[in-house]
Amino acid sequence: MSLLKIQNLTKNFGGVRAVDDFSHRLETGGLYAIIGPNGAGKTTIFNLITGIYEPTVGHISFDGDEITGLRTHQIATKGIARTFQNIRLFSDFSVLDNVRTACHRYANYTVWEGLIPTPRRRREEKDLTERSWNLLKLVNLDDRAQELSKNLPYGHQRRLEIARALAQEPKLLLLDEPAAGMNPDETVHLMEFIEQIHENFNLTILLIEHHMEVVMGLADDIVVIDFGRTIAQGTPEEVQSNPVVIEAYLGTEEE
Amino acid sequence: MSTVLQQIINGISIGSVYALIAVGYSLVYSILKFSNFAHGGVLMLGSYFGYFALTLFGMPFWVALPLAIIGAGLLGVINERLAYRPIRMRNSPLLYLMISSLGASIFLENFTIVTIGPTFRTYPEVFAISPYMIGDLYIGRLDIIIFVIATISVALLTWIIYGTRIGNAIRATSYNMRVASLMGINPDMIVAFVFFLAGASAGLGGVLFGIKYTVWPQMGILTLKAFIAAVVGGLGSLPGAVVGAMVLGVTETFAAAFVSSAFRDLFSYALMIIIIIVRPGGLLGTVTGEKA
Amino acid sequence: MSQYYIGILILICINLIAVLGLSLMTGFTGLFNFGQAGFLAVGAYTATILTTRYAAPFPLALLAGMLVSVLSSFLIGYPTLRLKGDYFAIATLGFAEVVRLLVENLEKLTGGSRGIPRISLYTTLPITLIVTILALWLVANYVRSRHGRNCVAVREDELAAESIGIDSFRYKQISFAINAALAGLSGGLLAHYIGFIQPSMFGMIKSTELIVMVIFGGMHSITGAVFAAIVLTSLPELLRAAQAWRLVAYGALVVVIMVVRPEGLMGSWEFTPANIKALFNKLRSAQDEE
Repeated sequence: MSLLKIQNLTKNFGGVRAVDDFSHRLETGGLYAIIGPNGAGKTTIFNLITGIYEPTVGHISFDGDEITGLRTHQIATKGIARTFQNIRLFSDFSVLDNVRTACHRYANYTVWEGLIPTPRRRREEKDLTERSWNLLKLVNLDDRAQELSKNLPYGHQRRLEIARALAQEPKLLLLDEPAAGMNPDETVHLMEFIEQIHENFNLTILLIEHHMEVVMGLADDIVVIDFGRTIAQGTPEEVQSNPVVIEAYLGTEEE
Repeated sequence: MSTVLQQIINGISIGSVYALIAVGYSLVYSILKFSNFAHGGVLMLGSYFGYFALTLFGMPFWVALPLAIIGAGLLGVINERLAYRPIRMRNSPLLYLMISSLGASIFLENFTIVTIGPTFRTYPEVFAISPYMIGDLYIGRLDIIIFVIATISVALLTWIIYGTRIGNAIRATSYNMRVASLMGINPDMIVAFVFFLAGASAGLGGVLFGIKYTVWPQMGILTLKAFIAAVVGGLGSLPGAVVGAMVLGVTETFAAAFVSSAFRDLFSYALMIIIIIVRPGGLLGTVTGEKA
Repeated sequence: MSQYYIGILILICINLIAVLGLSLMTGFTGLFNFGQAGFLAVGAYTATILTTRYAAPFPLALLAGMLVSVLSSFLIGYPTLRLKGDYFAIATLGFAEVVRLLVENLEKLTGGSRGIPRISLYTTLPITLIVTILALWLVANYVRSRHGRNCVAVREDELAAESIGIDSFRYKQISFAINAALAGLSGGLLAHYIGFIQPSMFGMIKSTELIVMVIFGGMHSITGAVFAAIVLTSLPELLRAAQAWRLVAYGALVVVIMVVRPEGLMGSWEFTPANIKALFNKLRSAQDEE
């Protein structure tokens, strides 16, 4: 059974068709990429998967359940975590609290216990803090745990956002242009990091990228989209030599 | 039958004043995406400008009215300059803009109370009050005049927004401020101009309302009607604001005529709540999601 | 302590209870409430009608006032909190107006604009102090819990909060309900301290005063709210002559704070022993460097 199954997904904004009849299957444990020029509809696909937009047509199922029409937090709770192209951290929170908040579902104490502390609350809060520290150590941010996240350098913010997503212990991780704004050196480090968490956390990863080179060494399977339509799919080698893809990329990179 | 017709005419007349106020509010909302609660303060001062121009300086109406309109427009620009622009420049949360507008509203209202006084003031008689008679139908002359002035002004505003180059720039800015500034539009100029238009229409609305009823420092609460009209019609939509204002005006006059004037405002809120539940995007609006 | 100062202390506590709720709601959750006085009125009228007409015991009457206030918060929150845009803020403003209209016009129940006189003065200093400390303790606990963090996450970035599985609608509704409970309590206490209630006591001015306290003290700080409630309640009481200009100054103050220092006096800094020690150490190390 596929982990994520997208069938005939279409999204219109007014008269503009941002995503056009998009279908895709992700098998558990794979590392997938969607690439395409800017404005091709990549982020819209993420927003449709995570319930930020409702599809005009089409269905999405995750882990055997239909998730089309569910609200964003419900989909997240089912095990889909994501990052954003333009980093959306809780900027007034410390690094630690960003991660700790994302762990919140691993504590069960109620709102009433939020008002009146109980031993259970204390125990669970301690557990949340411990989890968060462990995760921060793993992504090498533990030495900055108490800093406000908005004061972190850009690359660290990217890593923190991924850590926040990991804190949810998702089955599927969606990464929206994780290398955006990074220099080639940083990009290489980031790709190593993604490979590492893919293995360590037993994750299925779907990542969006604008630049083809970035995902070539990383993804097992690449979908290329342009103007909301799938124009090619296959292994990196197949995609790279596909004349349609080359044309789409040459056509837009010249701008 | 004739009373129903009469109430409809009354409703449309007051609705046209609400429309003036609501269009200004919606215009600001569509550009900056926040509720400008100081809109009421500008309206109130516009009404006072008109009042003092007529009484204290004894000006004729056709001089007093433009003065009040321009004065309120400039006040709107100053308001934006002092209370919103510094916050906008920092890209602070919209909540801060809303709170600042609350502060400006409190300031304007209470400054007026302290300096001019808390009393209700009545406009001098600008138009003859004697009603028109059509068959057995009484139509207030004032209602007709107010309706005509308000409708012409709303039409003028609509033309500015949809029919001129600066209107194009305003709509582009409201669609996406960043993209508009990339296209060479100066967003600060646009914002200032929008605040001028909003202030001017609020000032005119204040004068018309003052003529029909009275002027008093808390009359800014009238913008609540503009909010309701905007919500009913669709938050941020200009045609929506006009339609919402008309629906609200008629609802109110009917409630006052056939139920009880004490509960008139309850019907306005009920109307708003029903719309929010049944059609949250408003009569003419659509609900849009946030861009990730 | 003289009667006069006891009175000021009681008023500080009563305001503080309402400000705590508002701080949780506006400061921590990012929901602007324009009509806090409406909730005070609901609490005050419910409790007063119960004690004056039905001779209900005071604590029970207070609880009933809180309950009705919470129910009203669900009534407003349910349709509006899901919507993007300013629907919610407009609805709170409308709510306060609706309450005022009802209170003025349901004369048989509320005494109309003349209000309800001769209310027993059950609100004493010990009761007020105990209730205030309890409220402070509850709210302080809440903002430090996972639920409190979720509220702040919703304020900081609603979309990101939803994306990590936080039901933003639910947390907004909870903050709003806690606020309504505290506002209702504050209203009930106020009625039984002053001895009479009138619709004019719960107008825009009251809402304004309370929101100014939250903004002045620092939107993200509980101790800031406490500080602001103390200063802004006692100052006007002590300087009665300047009464007329007080609201002018409040309005200007709100704009200036938003323009210059939107996080308020304290920002998100809390007045706790650990933080004071940290501040002290920082000062000392700064001195050592010199």
